[in-house]
Amino acid sequence: MPVRRLLPLLFALLGAALAAPRPAAAEGLAFVMNSGAASISVIDMSTEKPLRRIPVLREPHHWALSPDGRSLIIGDSSGNSLFFLNPMTGAVQRRIVVADPYQLGFSPNGRFLTVNGLARNQIDVYAAASMKLLHRFPIRSMPSHLAYSPDSRRLFVTLQGTNRLVAIDLQAMRVLWDRPVGNTPAGVLWQNGKLLVCDMGTDYVAEVDPEDGKVIGHVVTEKGAHNLFRSPDGKTIWVNNRVSGTTTVLDAATLRPLRTYHIPGGPDDLFFAPDGKVWITRRFAESVAVLNPATGKFDLIDVGRSPHGIFLSPHAPSPDRLAAAR
Amino acid sequence: MRDPFDLAAGWVQEHVLLPFLYQVGWMRWEEVSYGWALAAVYGLVQVAATLALCTPLEAWRPVERWADRRAVTVDILYTLISRVGVLPLVTFVLFYQVQVNLTGWLVDHGWVPPMLELLVPPLLGHPIVTFFAYAAILDLADYWRHRLSHVFRWWWALHALHHAQEQMTFWSDDRNHVLDDLIGFVWFMLIALAIGVPPLQFPLLVLVLRFIESLSHANARLSFGWLGERLVISPRFHRAHHGVLAAGQSSCNYGGVLPWWDMIFGTADFSRDFPPTGDPEADAALRHGGYLAQQWSGLRRFGRALVGRA
Repeated sequence: MPVRRLLPLLFALLGAALAAPRPAAAEGLAFVMNSGAASISVIDMSTEKPLRRIPVLREPHHWALSPDGRSLIIGDSSGNSLFFLNPMTGAVQRRIVVADPYQLGFSPNGRFLTVNGLARNQIDVYAAASMKLLHRFPIRSMPSHLAYSPDSRRLFVTLQGTNRLVAIDLQAMRVLWDRPVGNTPAGVLWQNGKLLVCDMGTDYVAEVDPEDGKVIGHVVTEKGAHNLFRSPDGKTIWVNNRVSGTTTVLDAATLRPLRTYHIPGGPDDLFFAPDGKVWITRRFAESVAVLNPATGKFDLIDVGRSPHGIFLSPHAPSPDRLAAAR
Repeated sequence: MRDPFDLAAGWVQEHVLLPFLYQVGWMRWEEVSYGWALAAVYGLVQVAATLALCTPLEAWRPVERWADRRAVTVDILYTLISRVGVLPLVTFVLFYQVQVNLTGWLVDHGWVPPMLELLVPPLLGHPIVTFFAYAAILDLADYWRHRLSHVFRWWWALHALHHAQEQMTFWSDDRNHVLDDLIGFVWFMLIALAIGVPPLQFPLLVLVLRFIESLSHANARLSFGWLGERLVISPRFHRAHHGVLAAGQSSCNYGGVLPWWDMIFGTADFSRDFPPTGDPEADAALRHGGYLAQQWSGLRRFGRALVGRA
């Protein structure tokens, strides 16, 4: 066929391609707390590209979303500050001074905000609305992760330094019990009327009776069980094993291990994206792994030193749209 | 882009330290071990970089040539202990714990803990400028620590160990009595707490500063020129401080990285050209002894100075 007879066809195809509506890019922002770099990486979830770093003072570790969803609150522990960020844009809204905010979490009814001071051995319970300190529990030692009972009446905190779990009555503001639960307990989760506690010095998750703190069973995962998260559909529980560099998926109903993924680099926190992928911070590898659970493969995104907490804001507008709006 | 030194520290943490801590049941120390891994990797890189750059320099333009270099060997040990071994671990653990507790206590009592970025808000978000601001303040503080260590007889009794080396090389920077190091650490900690120095936030830049300090001790006939000598401390400038005529209580050129403090406070001497080094009053153990002999000799001198017999 002569070339000149092909040209109109090529131009037609090119025109059609240019005129066709482009598929809308997936939107959302990921926030990664770089605990060793005094910054928060902001990542475009659609392209998995870092957009910028928000400077904080010293050591951002964990986060909590305010009950109204308008503020992503990040604890800067040795900076003695809580940074309030707009989860839709990453803009810093304000900073308040709080002693050693390492781990933090709102109660399910939104009434309390608990702030654990890991280095200062204290558990602070605030009135969430006013940020008034209601009670400080000096405690030994290294209060690490926390969970609430679904009715918001009880608070449970792992004590990494003394291998114990403490239960606090939030109505009476008193310690209910303080029991040994294994070796270096870290992540804790309320699940079907039991507490699941990751024992980082072992290869299992302890099942604990929330009434009296007795260990009633063990779920073997892999070495260094560090933290655990329930999937959005409630069907699985994901356990990051720090020493073995793996993530174990448990059946939420039976606690039977279903699958293990190899995520080297010290897997720490994770967050479930709406597209089914799982974003995992790699604490010793300056990166986030974006895991496709179907294939077991993951992409890596460079972030700052010692990435710890991670929060995905899937409804945040894409950077393109933000730029257009500006 | 990921920092290769951070990745190396992460590898050590993941493949060496964590399995060890897990095995012996010490997982509660995993954050501390990571801090040590970072400090030790950067310390090793400091030593390797200094070795790679200063060895050819000392061979190319030595101030002195020695047939017997045994006296230098002990300085190598000092360096390894100071930069890779136990000192970074102690420094990291102690400093971090004290800083968190003190600043947390201040917060509880209604005070905002001091922090340079809060005093000068434009610094926030400009880590390199912030680092140099911190570095300049700490260098000024170190100038006064060093100057005072020459003033008080008991302190000089300890610090004389650093000056006793007659074969001064780039390894000599860390040749210090352990009590002198301890005082230096407390001094640094007080200043760092007052301005809120972030531990381990700028390891690469600390590496560069430590390199300058090592280089300033090099046995190398190296000057940075009229202007350069007034910007950064050179081997020529610092050698004047170690010269036999400058040992003791009236010395010159006390600065570590920046010569500005000597210039401002009237102790700068740019005139001396590569004098022989050492302390003529130091005993043989202090000059030529092994690590323990030097430490013991320093301790005895310190004790005598305290009771007024020296």
